[in-house]
Amino acid sequence: MSENTTARRDGAPAEGAAQGRPRRPWAPRTPILPERAFRFSPRTLGIAVGLFAIGYLVLAFQMPAYTAVEVPVQPSTLPRWLGVALLVLAVLLFFQRKPEETVAESGGEAADEPREGGEPRLGRLDDPRLEIGLFVGALIAYIAVFELLGFILSTALYLGSMTWYLGYRRHLVNAVVALTLPFAFYAGMTWGLDVTLPSGPLPF
Amino acid sequence: MGMLDQLMYGFGIALTPENLLYVFIGVLAGTIIGMLPGLGPMSAIALMIPIAYGMDPTSAIIMLAGVYYGAIFGGSTSSILLNAPGVAGTVATSFDGYPMALKGQAGKALAIAAICSFVGGTISVVGLMAIAPSLASFAVSFGPVEYFALMVLGLTAVVSLGGRNLVKGLVSAVVGVMIALVGIDSQTAIVRFTFDLPELYEGVEFLIVALGVFALAEVLVMLNQRGKGGVRKGVTSLRLSRREIAQITPPALRSSVLGFFTGVLPGAGATVASFLSYSMEKKIARDGDTFGEGNPKGVAAPEAANNAAAVGSFVPLMTLGVPGSGTTAILLGALMVLGVQPGPMMLSQNPDMFWGVVASMYIGSVVLLILNLPLIPLFAKVLNTPRTMLVPLVVVFCVVGVYGLSFSVFDLGLLAAFGAIGFLMRRNDFPAAPLILGLILGGLMETNMRRALQISDGAWSVFLTEPISAGLLAVAVLSLLPALVRVLRRRRTPVEPAGSAATADTGDEPEGTRDESEDGSATAPVSGSGSGADGRVPPRD
Repeated sequence: MSENTTARRDGAPAEGAAQGRPRRPWAPRTPILPERAFRFSPRTLGIAVGLFAIGYLVLAFQMPAYTAVEVPVQPSTLPRWLGVALLVLAVLLFFQRKPEETVAESGGEAADEPREGGEPRLGRLDDPRLEIGLFVGALIAYIAVFELLGFILSTALYLGSMTWYLGYRRHLVNAVVALTLPFAFYAGMTWGLDVTLPSGPLPF
Repeated sequence: MGMLDQLMYGFGIALTPENLLYVFIGVLAGTIIGMLPGLGPMSAIALMIPIAYGMDPTSAIIMLAGVYYGAIFGGSTSSILLNAPGVAGTVATSFDGYPMALKGQAGKALAIAAICSFVGGTISVVGLMAIAPSLASFAVSFGPVEYFALMVLGLTAVVSLGGRNLVKGLVSAVVGVMIALVGIDSQTAIVRFTFDLPELYEGVEFLIVALGVFALAEVLVMLNQRGKGGVRKGVTSLRLSRREIAQITPPALRSSVLGFFTGVLPGAGATVASFLSYSMEKKIARDGDTFGEGNPKGVAAPEAANNAAAVGSFVPLMTLGVPGSGTTAILLGALMVLGVQPGPMMLSQNPDMFWGVVASMYIGSVVLLILNLPLIPLFAKVLNTPRTMLVPLVVVFCVVGVYGLSFSVFDLGLLAAFGAIGFLMRRNDFPAAPLILGLILGGLMETNMRRALQISDGAWSVFLTEPISAGLLAVAVLSLLPALVRVLRRRRTPVEPAGSAATADTGDEPEGTRDESEDGSATAPVSGSGSGADGRVPPRD
């Protein structure tokens, strides 16, 4: 399904894309369907939830008891019950039937429907996992420079570069939006609603 | 004061220029955000909360309620024009709305949607007025024991209807309660699960989680989807013939009533209501076999029902203080942020808020109608917003909203983390609505549990010996049964061959729709099947 629905970045429809399309950088050897990326089996999920529950229980049992006044419910009572409940759920999850058998088929069928004038997938990498990772990375970078550069500069940088990276082709429009929108936001929030956003090196 | 006097009083509040403006802003913003495929009412409300911060609580809830039904309406526009419902509650609309658009009747379909939304919304506001005061006066006698049981019921109801997988829904709910317990315990001042980070002492702010697991996660899901073209020829004439009006009136009226009561039930929201009414009309109609091919009744029924259900879900929220759906959970969170605690006392202590909201709903329905009929062609242009621009913009919205909360970059980090968690949840079919509900109810649940046990001297049996509490808990257990039966049945029956899934007889949809949590998992079918913006619900039992 990935082959014949993978549209090119320029929005050309899918057919023929399979043979002629040059490999994108970082293309994984076996293509990963975007729909499949980050999907895990019930076993993996069960183990992950179970480990979380165990960690939570350890913390819950280390919690000090409140002894100043006698209380029927300690601060750790509910957390302990919750931890146990989650552990039981993790076990149930672990033994669930793998949903892939059904999902794969019905998912394939839905995705194979003809798509008139479909947009291409966003982004530039063939591996959807890397794409998501890159997007989250960009978000973290944005957050990291948020106070340092101030709202206007960091947002303009983020908006402009992400919109460009995701494949928006009208660069002038992009630049105008990336520059005016953060300013409008800043003005509205800081002067209109009294929610002061960081100004960074800018004088206002 | 009689009900009419009180309603007049409410209109007095809702008709102030300021509140009229907020209704307008709410409905407009809701319509636009709801139209964008992927962003549902939950994201719409979460994105608007930062704007509501500085506002008077009454105005704020008037605006946020407008966002809610505006978003449900906006979802229908993208359902009809793109076959890409922005909201799970309007998936059923696309079954006949999109074929109508393909036949060149997009305008008619949109007009039917607008009129029937208006009918549904208006009828159920009457229901809200009729039921809410008596329910509230009954609930005034509730003590902590009953409240605890009620909250358990609210949680299990959302879990049972909220996901295709009971265990995953319960995991979400439990984790939600766990997040609610982070911070300094208000009764004993003992610090819980803060990892010695002072930023966590006051707990995790609900808005961070809401924006993360809804808006940000939806953006991440959008990254991997391909858009779908649909009808971009524009909107054709909106005029309906007299015959068509006569044709859609009975289904609209029936679906409004059905939708309202579905909305009142905890857990069942706009999505379930729309599918129920769609299949009911299909069964009743003489031309039932043309449903799915562009039958106007197939647009009228779900549209009336989903708006009616949206209003109906305000009944448990405003009278009991327990949200019955993911979206009203977000609204409750927003109210608590604004310092208002809805519940049985709200009607007597804050009548201006209750009646102001009720009156604003009448006004909102009218605004929605006025706004949408002539402006639909203009609004439809919103659908052309390229996702390449939309995705980073939503991120910026989220960041501004969270930063404005406490001016802390730590919170922005939390936002990113919850975005990633929400994305992983969606990819693996964990419904997000129970998580939010658990987060909001968790603290209240614990407080009520402690009070109840304080009174009973630590005897846990009090929850079972008090009749109302025992009844509510029994209903809570019962509410999980259908989901349990479904799980067991699925194990026994062989899986249906895949090809029939999307084209499956929609008359049987309610079965399938139980899988959809109200609005919250608007993109659940998307993530699950990878069917992209297509958004059709593959019934997957």
